[in-house]
Amino acid sequence: MKKKVLAVLLASAMAITAFAGCGSKEESSTTTETSEETKEASSDDAIANLIASTEGTVDLTLWCSETEEYQKVMKELCDNFEAQYPDVDFNITIGAVSEADMKDRVLEDVEAAADVFVFPDDQLEALVKAGALNEVAAQYTYDMNETDTAATVEAGQYNGKQYAYPFTASNGYFLYYDSSILSEEDVASWEALTAKAEELGKEVGCEVSNAWYLYGFFKGAGCTLEENEDQSNTCDWNSETGLACAESLQKICASKAFKSYGNDDFLAQLADGKIAAYVSGTWNDKKVAEVFGDGYAATKLPTFEVNGEAKQMNSYSGYKFMGVNAYSKNTGWAMLLTEYLTQASSQEAVYAATGEGPSNTEALKNASSPALSALAEQSQYAQLQRVGGKYWEPAAALGKNIVDGKVSQQVLDDAVAGITQPADAE
Amino acid sequence: MRKTGKIIGRQIVLAILAFIWILPIIWLFVTTFSVEKGINTNHFFPQHWTLDNYHQLFFRPDVAANFPAWFKNSMFIGVCCCLISSVFVIMTAYAFSCLRFNGRKQLMSFSLILGMFPGVLSMIAMYFVLKLLGLTDSTLGLIIIYSGASGLGYLILKGFFDTIPTSLREAAKLEGASEATIFTKIVVPLSKPMIVYTVISSFLAPWMDFVMARLMIKSKNSADWTMAIGLFNLLQRALINQYFTIFCCGGLMVAVPITILFIIMQKFYVEGVTGGAVKG
Amino acid sequence: MGNFFKKIGNNLKGFGEATAKGDIWVKLSLVIMGAGYFGRRQFARAILMTLLEVGVIASVINVFAPYMAKLNTLGTVQREEIFDALTMKKTVNDYDNSLLILLYGIIGVLIIVAFIVLYISNMNAVYRLQKMEKEGKHINSFKDDLISFKNENFHITLLTLPSLGVILMNVIPIIFMVCIAFTNYDENHQPPTYLFTWVGIKNFISLFTNSQTITFGYAFVRVLAWTLLWAVLATVTTFIGGILLAQFINHEHTMAKGLWRTLFVITIGIPQFVSLLLISKMFGDYGIVNSFCESTGILNMFKNAGLLPESAAYIPFLSQPGWAHVTIILVNIWVGVPYQMLVATGILMNIPTDQIESARIDGANKYQIFWKITMPYVLFITGPSLIQSVINNINNFNVIYLLTYNYTTTNMALANSNAKEVDLLITWLFRLTNEQSNYKMASVIGIVTFVICAALSLLTFSRMISGDNEEVYR
Repeated sequence: MKKKVLAVLLASAMAITAFAGCGSKEESSTTTETSEETKEASSDDAIANLIASTEGTVDLTLWCSETEEYQKVMKELCDNFEAQYPDVDFNITIGAVSEADMKDRVLEDVEAAADVFVFPDDQLEALVKAGALNEVAAQYTYDMNETDTAATVEAGQYNGKQYAYPFTASNGYFLYYDSSILSEEDVASWEALTAKAEELGKEVGCEVSNAWYLYGFFKGAGCTLEENEDQSNTCDWNSETGLACAESLQKICASKAFKSYGNDDFLAQLADGKIAAYVSGTWNDKKVAEVFGDGYAATKLPTFEVNGEAKQMNSYSGYKFMGVNAYSKNTGWAMLLTEYLTQASSQEAVYAATGEGPSNTEALKNASSPALSALAEQSQYAQLQRVGGKYWEPAAALGKNIVDGKVSQQVLDDAVAGITQPADAE
Repeated sequence: MRKTGKIIGRQIVLAILAFIWILPIIWLFVTTFSVEKGINTNHFFPQHWTLDNYHQLFFRPDVAANFPAWFKNSMFIGVCCCLISSVFVIMTAYAFSCLRFNGRKQLMSFSLILGMFPGVLSMIAMYFVLKLLGLTDSTLGLIIIYSGASGLGYLILKGFFDTIPTSLREAAKLEGASEATIFTKIVVPLSKPMIVYTVISSFLAPWMDFVMARLMIKSKNSADWTMAIGLFNLLQRALINQYFTIFCCGGLMVAVPITILFIIMQKFYVEGVTGGAVKG
Repeated sequence: MGNFFKKIGNNLKGFGEATAKGDIWVKLSLVIMGAGYFGRRQFARAILMTLLEVGVIASVINVFAPYMAKLNTLGTVQREEIFDALTMKKTVNDYDNSLLILLYGIIGVLIIVAFIVLYISNMNAVYRLQKMEKEGKHINSFKDDLISFKNENFHITLLTLPSLGVILMNVIPIIFMVCIAFTNYDENHQPPTYLFTWVGIKNFISLFTNSQTITFGYAFVRVLAWTLLWAVLATVTTFIGGILLAQFINHEHTMAKGLWRTLFVITIGIPQFVSLLLISKMFGDYGIVNSFCESTGILNMFKNAGLLPESAAYIPFLSQPGWAHVTIILVNIWVGVPYQMLVATGILMNIPTDQIESARIDGANKYQIFWKITMPYVLFITGPSLIQSVINNINNFNVIYLLTYNYTTTNMALANSNAKEVDLLITWLFRLTNEQSNYKMASVIGIVTFVICAALSLLTFSRMISGDNEEVYR
């Protein structure tokens, strides 16, 4: 385990410590030593300082997904963390909060929220804007820039500052299919897929009326959707390409075999044996594997035809992060706990328990599943999710219009007007 | 002959109506026996039957579903609120109905106006008032939230008190009874059905609320939740497919005490509602 | 209202008189509130008053004054933090929290206002004591005072606790939220980290104006229209349904009346969040009702009738405007009729039979009796409570929210302001606060809802609470 602290911060920190004459017994290492040694020694120092200055019980709260597997593995990991510091008396409480609601629950009252919480990357912006996340100013037990994939580290940044610890890198979407009835050619394009499914009398699909998935089609067709500095969006989905994309998507949706199920309906239909292929993510991995049995397979998203040209459907690459509450009363310990829970061995444990792909490169090497390789395949067509808050509702409404077969230039114009409205518009 | 036909026709119409009304509850009921843990949208009756869901509900609480603890919490909060709210409502209604004092009408108009403000909106402020008192995340806090403003719900009971003849109270006064004695010894015993109605409705409000409780209970440890938050949580995306049947079991178990209460108290309830409705 | 100001005037006049003509004890009461009682040997009162005075002044100075001083700006110092990487400790500046400033400020102002009222009436009271002493009248001992709380002051005994509860849990939150409507509290200005401040009536203006992207005005009109339509329809349908059902069950030809009634009452026992969520699943696009309609050909029937396009794979019970509106009203009938049935049962039991008898003798058939005698009677009795239930339905959160939380709108203009066709004002503002953190607009909508309800009830309640007819039934 490498122990490092960002050098610049350290220098300033040591200066402060020198003046403050902090109560720890150890002398802070002098700056004349080689920088590498300094770093190693000082991160130990910092932890030693923290232990020395800790009195009484350290209360920490961790909020993570409410599923049984998650709660179990987190409990184990927290116990291990406590065991690592036998001199300190911890009281770690684990709370169950649905990840999709994490931002809402935290922002209701930041001061009463958990010290450490797990959240999906699309909530990063709202959390930072409300000032709920503690900046990752220094790392003590590992350096995420070295251990985690660059994309995940970058996704945890906002305005150039690191706010979150990468935790899993498998929160994106790809295509599940039943390889016992669908061939690789069938799943290569939506046109082939729907045709084959109609022939088989099975269902395939993707939740088009969900803005998160809808993005993949327009981006794949060559349209842009970007967030500006003032948190509004730039969007050209009402261009000629956009219209062509929407129309071809509408054509796909019109197929009898194509369905735009929400997650609940998808799982119900899946359990009923009606689904042959569907766009989803690792959160449904176990259920899909169970139903498809030997035919269980996953691959990158299919292509679709725009103006007679096959375009690869894109996607958002989803991540989960762990964040430290800016209002935590034990910032130091909360940071150490977060580092412990996001280090390589912990990520492996989480992968083993939940099937979610690690963001840590080392842990990622030991993890392999059809879902993860599908994600890896899709990753070259996946973008980091950076989009202003005004995107979601208009885009969802656009998706619904497409599914209902009501595409027109006017609808696209209205959608773009909504998506691009100023961030602080009432 | 025609009469028998009419009678049978009536029963059939009622049976059809009752069937429509009971149908969702039947679905709730049969789903509790389903082996498939998730929601099944294609079949009304489960394909395989089991009693295991009830066993899990009562004897195998886990992180997500801790029914025994929820039941206990909800019961405790419900009973406390029920006591406090009923007392508040009875006191307010009596004061406004039977006593005459300065500012009475102004207070009544004021309370009517207050009752019209959408409660959902002031929840955040209520939360911070409780925080100021250091009572968030505690049972006491929830009890205060539910019963604090309950005095505003006096209208129906006041309507009932209005129908109690003034002569009764005047006679008692002539015999030297104080206002307090008249209240406790004469008016309250006279109003039993109405008070039963008040008690039931003040028990139901906290028992069934989930919006307020979700904001007020900050603890994410399922043992601290109330029934409504706990059950609502089981319908979250990550849980619904493992816990839908458990949710149904829980929902049914919540309904049983209330339903029994209602069936027994039906008479009181009817009298109570009308007693108030006569005067609005 | 005029009375109210007259009373204030009288009190102030009394205060002036007391200050001018009072003896030493009364004048001393200006500083020490208990002094006037002390002079008349009412020691317990004197101590209580003085303690109250000290308590209020101490709490205002120590707790509320710092917040009240910042009420005009709602805070100026934003939160800043410095993390010390070597001690792993964080130092935070002494920052302002706009939310707490507003809340504590309001409470502080309320306390001061209440204290001033108390102070003035206290002066009046001690001056009255002085006069009573001069005239040689009996002055109440502390014990007399206590006994009066069981008699002529019994209303104080009864109302103190409920009023405190209402002030704490209702009045203060309402004042607070009304104030929010005049600030810029939204997702970009969230305390404790960021400050919000007063912006005047800007939010109200944006509710009533429109531009291509700012669609709050557009959404507001539509949501309001549906809210009012819903409130009226929901009330009327459940009301009539309840009466008809009660009448039907009450009929002499109905056997086992109790059993039928109980069957309907069972639905009341199921909490709404259970039954409504179940129903929303049942009526989902791929729910069990749709499976049923498809397999029995009802779906095709609708298509043939031209109600659905040929390509429709399901009946959009809760997913398309129009359909969803009808479904919601129908489900609400399911929810509300059993309640109304119980109410109506009670009323029908008390219906004066002599009128019905004489009508029957005059040759009226039963439909005429129902519409000419029964309905007017029931309407007469339940009229005021009907208005109340219209107001309750305007604020009926559960039915709409639980049935339509999955609804996606296809109307871009509504989507741009986070509204849906099926939203009531109350569900709209709930999602604005809970999901969008847009508190300022939610407050504005809340105030408008309130004004509508208040206007509605003014039309009817003023008669009811005027009190002229309170004694009629005794």
